[in-house]
Amino acid sequence: MLAMFSYNIKLAFNSMRRNPVMTALMVAAIAVGIGVSMTTLSVYHMMSSNPIPEKSDVLFAVTLDSWNPLRPFDDDHPERAPHQLTFHDAERLVALAAGKRQTAMFESSLIIEPLGDDDLPFEAGARVTYADFFPMFNVPFLYGNAWDKAADRAAEPVVVLTKKLNERLFGGEDSVGKTLTMDGTRFRVVGVTDTWEPTPRFYDPINGGFQEVNEMFIPYSLTRVMELKSNGSDWGWKSEDIQSFEQWLNSESVWVQYFVELDSPSARDEYVDHLNAYVNEQKRLGRFERPLNNHIYNVEEWMEYHEVVARDARVLVGLSFLFLLVCVLSTIALTLTKFVGKKAETSLRRALGASRWTIFGQQIVEVGLMGFAGGLIGLLLVTFGLQGIKYLYDSTPGLVKLDWLMVFTAIGVAVLSSTLAGLYPAWRVCSIPPAAQLKTQ
Amino acid sequence: MLQMKQIRKVYRTELVETHALREVSINVEAGEFVALTGSSGSGKTTFLNIAGLLETFDSGSYLLDGRDVGQLDDDERSVCRNQKIGFIFQSFNLIPDLDLYENIDVPLRYRRLPKAERRQRIEHALETVGLASRMKHIPAQLSGGQQQRVAIARAIAGQPKLLLADEPTGNLDSNMALQVMDLLEEIHAGGATIVMVTHDPSLAARAERNIQLADGQVLAAETTGSPIEIPQAYGRENAGRLVAQA
Amino acid sequence: MDIGPMVSSLLRNKTGAILVALQIAVTLAIVINSLYIIVLRVEKINRDPGMDVDNVVIAYVRGFGDDFDVVDSITNDIDLIRSIPGVRTATVSNHVPLSGSGSGTGLRTEPDETIEAVPTGRYRWSEEGLDALGITLSRGRNFLPEEVDFIMGDSDPPAPASILVTQKLADDLFGDEDALGKTVYWGSMEPSTIVGIIGRMHGSWVGWDKLDNVVIQPGKPAYTTNKYIIRTEPGMRDELMPVIENKLGESNRHRVVKSVRSLSEIAARSYRSDRGMAIILSIVITLLIGLTALVIVGLASFHVTQRTKQIGTRRALGARRIDIVQFFMLENWLITTAGAVLGIVLTVAVAYWLEVSFELQRLDWRYLPAGILILWVLSSLAVIEPARRAASVPPAVATRSI
Repeated sequence: MLAMFSYNIKLAFNSMRRNPVMTALMVAAIAVGIGVSMTTLSVYHMMSSNPIPEKSDVLFAVTLDSWNPLRPFDDDHPERAPHQLTFHDAERLVALAAGKRQTAMFESSLIIEPLGDDDLPFEAGARVTYADFFPMFNVPFLYGNAWDKAADRAAEPVVVLTKKLNERLFGGEDSVGKTLTMDGTRFRVVGVTDTWEPTPRFYDPINGGFQEVNEMFIPYSLTRVMELKSNGSDWGWKSEDIQSFEQWLNSESVWVQYFVELDSPSARDEYVDHLNAYVNEQKRLGRFERPLNNHIYNVEEWMEYHEVVARDARVLVGLSFLFLLVCVLSTIALTLTKFVGKKAETSLRRALGASRWTIFGQQIVEVGLMGFAGGLIGLLLVTFGLQGIKYLYDSTPGLVKLDWLMVFTAIGVAVLSSTLAGLYPAWRVCSIPPAAQLKTQ
Repeated sequence: MLQMKQIRKVYRTELVETHALREVSINVEAGEFVALTGSSGSGKTTFLNIAGLLETFDSGSYLLDGRDVGQLDDDERSVCRNQKIGFIFQSFNLIPDLDLYENIDVPLRYRRLPKAERRQRIEHALETVGLASRMKHIPAQLSGGQQQRVAIARAIAGQPKLLLADEPTGNLDSNMALQVMDLLEEIHAGGATIVMVTHDPSLAARAERNIQLADGQVLAAETTGSPIEIPQAYGRENAGRLVAQA
Repeated sequence: MDIGPMVSSLLRNKTGAILVALQIAVTLAIVINSLYIIVLRVEKINRDPGMDVDNVVIAYVRGFGDDFDVVDSITNDIDLIRSIPGVRTATVSNHVPLSGSGSGTGLRTEPDETIEAVPTGRYRWSEEGLDALGITLSRGRNFLPEEVDFIMGDSDPPAPASILVTQKLADDLFGDEDALGKTVYWGSMEPSTIVGIIGRMHGSWVGWDKLDNVVIQPGKPAYTTNKYIIRTEPGMRDELMPVIENKLGESNRHRVVKSVRSLSEIAARSYRSDRGMAIILSIVITLLIGLTALVIVGLASFHVTQRTKQIGTRRALGARRIDIVQFFMLENWLITTAGAVLGIVLTVAVAYWLEVSFELQRLDWRYLPAGILILWVLSSLAVIEPARRAASVPPAVATRSI
């Protein structure tokens, strides 16, 4: 059995060598088809992958409908509430602590003052959030830890640096305990996170699902103290007279993202009740003039809500599989001509005793081998393609990673499609009666 | 009809110069049925190619139906072939993807005849060879003998002045061979000029006249058609000369 | 002329022809639809933004420290920039057009909350703003210096007396009526008067369908991070960018120069995904056409080799060389046409699928005949060499015995 297989492999190589141009063309057709379709599929796969599978169904984004009584937040989806909360609502909900864990957050930026005499001050992006952020999202730490709830309550000027920022500021050493002056305030470093690049950036798809992660984390409670402004998007429906930062924080503008961790389906239901109770209470104060419309979304639902998988990515996947179809058709056509050209040899083999199935098997092995070769070359093309995509779209490295699933898929698709392409030609060839082609025409 | 004078044909490759025909002179009158015999290597295929304007010759003259065809260019030769000559090949050379009607139609289309006339000629030709009922069949559905009869129909549909047959029964069994020869004699009886190339003496005997070729030269032209023994040693040393690489 | 027998011959030996026709059909469907998308994206990128993009530089600055006076800083910075030779003018602005970052609001023609506001982008800059971007007013006047004050970041100033709007916004608000001199109302129901109309101008979000709606308020916004819009004399932008960055950096140690970038680069980033899509699709089309052409050439060559005997026979029967060339080209043309017919159906199907599943724009039907024409030309070119080879098969092949 094995001997037969290796004999077939040997025959396949001989056959391929005899007509190098044809072989090259066929392998190229498969390779190019795999290259194009697997590049787009890989990007699509990364875009639609679950960035936190171990927790994606216990983490929920919260939306409250505090919007204009006269018209919905999103005319295209009138059933939806605004995707961010007001500062005030977020703060209060965190204080009420109705979920297992919860956090509110937004993006801001601070000027880091020079550590050495020669350095210049520079601006760094910060995620302003609560202590629960880190355990909720399984953020890995290199040194130290996050701050604790006491620090949140006391609005302590503590900071968690990312690995990248830590390298820029402190050369990558353990900087826990060191201090840093940012926007005029002295901060103490309590922790440094390890590389953390969830793809997509599920906790803030609103401000870019594939952006670089923020460079540091500071407590939400510092917002008032330091008058931190959000860099992300903010939306407002109400015309309000805002003349001070405090008035801004108390306004109806929505610019805070909110996440809660809920362990079980019953916890889910309880939490939604809790939200509704909160909103009803606020209604009595004259806010939330729209009917109750509060929703929570788990991570995958939240990704879908924001259509994180870009439309162009989906179009490309569709078109590139049509492209693969063309490559398969090419392969069938070329295989057919190649096999038909071997009529004489085949009927000779049949005359010498090879059965139909033997011939069939030989052709399939040959075509499968070419598919395998095409798949390998195709994978090489995919790596180029992904680099090209990274360059063109300036995307995060996570988006253009080629994981093992894609590698096996690529080889599998290559071998499968070339084998399928070869079925009909192989059948045609093995149907040639023995010695039929031995006579001259 | 066919007047060849001192025809010479040399094939040159990098290494070998082959004198296929040397000063061959052959005359065939209109209405004759002539057989050309010789063993392989005698030059009969070359003769056939030149007679049929399939190849050019190096020197000498060739008058076909009174016209000097030596200086014709490729296109003119094609037109002349189409109008004046009918071929019957050893392996029938029918086009496998076309049915009988379409096969016979091929030379008629090259002549740009109108559809009605082509139809009439094709039907008549098929009737002559006795295969009118199989008009829509493809060659693969016919026996060898039937295929050759179709090829004959194709050759005569254009009413050529000269029919050239190359081993017409070479691929047929003896029964079918007889049928085909009967047909050829019938066509000859109708006034056609036929030159048949063959290596089979019994076939040659059915022609009016027999011309023998050996080593590119005409040996004898006999009216009775009985072959002459070819002395083995004759002229063999002239058959090929190695040309040194210059 | 010879189509009849050729069609029956093709029908009797269908498989090769069907495969090629299918391949041509799918290729056509992909190529036409992709080409259309490419053209749409390129047109989108090449829209006239109404500004002198090539000569505009943006500087992003941010001050820090307790005694940082933002008003002084901005005033000094702008004066400094303007003093650089080769700089035409500069202004501070709340946002940068074409950058993807901006402010949106809605305007109404009546102070009535129940009517829908017309969405628009909003900029606030000084009387130098129009010149700093190279925007032309088609009617009315620019801001006067006395209308322009500093606006502090946290304050909500009252609605300005005078504003500028783009023609598109004016049309959306007032239809055919002349908008010059008319009053519009902000979300706060406060009024402003339109004193100038800009012919055309793009806002911040290049993917927004209201990109041409822009309203300009007079003022010098003073935020934490400030944006300076700087216009250089033609051709001097590249040499001046580092000069601007250095001079600003040196002049004030408490004010960080975050970056100095050209508006061209900023706009290119905004169009990144459109450009990327166009490039990717172009590569796909090229590969596809190349592959199909190679397959046509390969198959045609193979058929020529396979049918050498038949070619010789035809020549023997009277075909001239040109007849053989025509034969192969006609056969190729028949298959291509069959592929094109099927391709039209497939193209429409794919276009429909793209429109329905991805909300892409409906295919412009003129692309179909254009695509088919290109296909015919390509296919004919591909078969020329095999056809030529076929024509050189000598008639003597007919009499060969093998």
